[in-house]
Amino acid sequence: MTFAEYVRENWITIVNDTILHFDVTLGAVAIAVVIGVGLGMLTYRHSTLAALATTTTGAFLTIPSVALLGVLIAPFGLGVLPVLVALVVYALLPITRNTIVGLQEVDPAVVEAGRGMGLSRTRVLWDLRLPLAWPVIFAGVRVSTQIIIGIAAIGAWVQGPGLGNQIFNGLGRFGGANSLNQVLTGTLGIVVLALLFDLALAGVARLTTSRGLRA
Amino acid sequence: MTAPVTAQRPARAARGTGRAGLLVRPALIGAGLLVLWWWAGSQQLDSIEARNVNGEVIGSQVLEHVELTLICTALTIAIAIPLGIAVSLSRSRAGRLVVLSLGNLGQAIPSIGLIVLLALVISIGVGTAVIALVAYAVLPVLRNTMVGIEGVDPVLTEAARGMGLSRLAVLFTVELPLAVPVILAGVRTALVLTVASAPLAALIDGGGLGEGLFTGLTLNRPVISVTFGVLVAALALLADWLGLLAETSLRPKGI
Repeated sequence: MTFAEYVRENWITIVNDTILHFDVTLGAVAIAVVIGVGLGMLTYRHSTLAALATTTTGAFLTIPSVALLGVLIAPFGLGVLPVLVALVVYALLPITRNTIVGLQEVDPAVVEAGRGMGLSRTRVLWDLRLPLAWPVIFAGVRVSTQIIIGIAAIGAWVQGPGLGNQIFNGLGRFGGANSLNQVLTGTLGIVVLALLFDLALAGVARLTTSRGLRA
Repeated sequence: MTAPVTAQRPARAARGTGRAGLLVRPALIGAGLLVLWWWAGSQQLDSIEARNVNGEVIGSQVLEHVELTLICTALTIAIAIPLGIAVSLSRSRAGRLVVLSLGNLGQAIPSIGLIVLLALVISIGVGTAVIALVAYAVLPVLRNTMVGIEGVDPVLTEAARGMGLSRLAVLFTVELPLAVPVILAGVRTALVLTVASAPLAALIDGGGLGEGLFTGLTLNRPVISVTFGVLVAALALLADWLGLLAETSLRPKGI
């Protein structure tokens, strides 16, 4: 069976796997945005705390995904949960670091002006710093997404959802009929999904950036 | 768009840590391994677990893992740095474009897919694992070599040329030394990437710590997968630390 025939015959499974892959990635990124941006907002004013936040989340990213998943199945068992937790952990560094850098690099004159107009510190953070830092933060979100979309493939190893299942099925029937087609489908599917995801996020970045900042 | 950010990370960390700070990491890793040793020792191991979680098996797998990583990293450096120099010397826009877009696309390819695909196309075994791991790790080094050389202030190369140095002498005495920090950051990224992806080699009979990890999962023995998972993590953190040491000690004086 050729690759095209395989895809045509199994497209329902493939589309299903793609959607699940997209879902788990999107969910993990959403959770990571809440945690990472929150962490950045809490720490950006203190350089030691900020350094601690970036080195800790950086160390997370150094831990191999296979190892982390192997450890996470002890408390979380098999399935979506360990994969989701691992993906959130891996997505944290770019988002946290870009939040800290973005918030720190807001022009002090703008902050001064805001304070002078009577805005409280919290209002300055929410109404000035965050919108101004948003393009930088969102660049971090895009990097995180690209990183974890590939890692999600390994999630299938602990019975996680997504296109990784095509790869592991192919591996399980090594050399058998369609094993190459399955691995090819999983791998190419993830590459295509990553490209589309990044395009979509570029659009979202434009829509969510404050109008005055758009180029 | 992803690679420059990953490449920046080591440089940033290197600047933030002082001399005493360099010792914190190995101490933490050592403490983590001690906890693992104590925890594994306190577990009631059944015969399957005892067969996998013992000094002999762990020692040989760690050795295989380190060996695999070293071979792959050496090959990566031997391929990527000369290639990077060649591409940036040729000043061809096409070569640059191909390398950079391959770099972007390469990051989107999941490592597990690449390894299994190559195993299906070539054969299973250590050789294929090495090819896959090297192919995956070449990109950050290649890109950083190019970016590092191109990032050298043209005024400096101009001045060196004006002083009568040949094109080649400029490369070796001006451009390469100035590019060393960026290149080393790429090597460090590649090293960590290789340690981290090497467990996947066990899936195609390539040996290493992945064997224990996958055995633990297949036989549903969390004790085994946790033990080997922590070992792989410790090894990756250690490799990152060694990369940091190399970055601080190999940097030419004056930069």
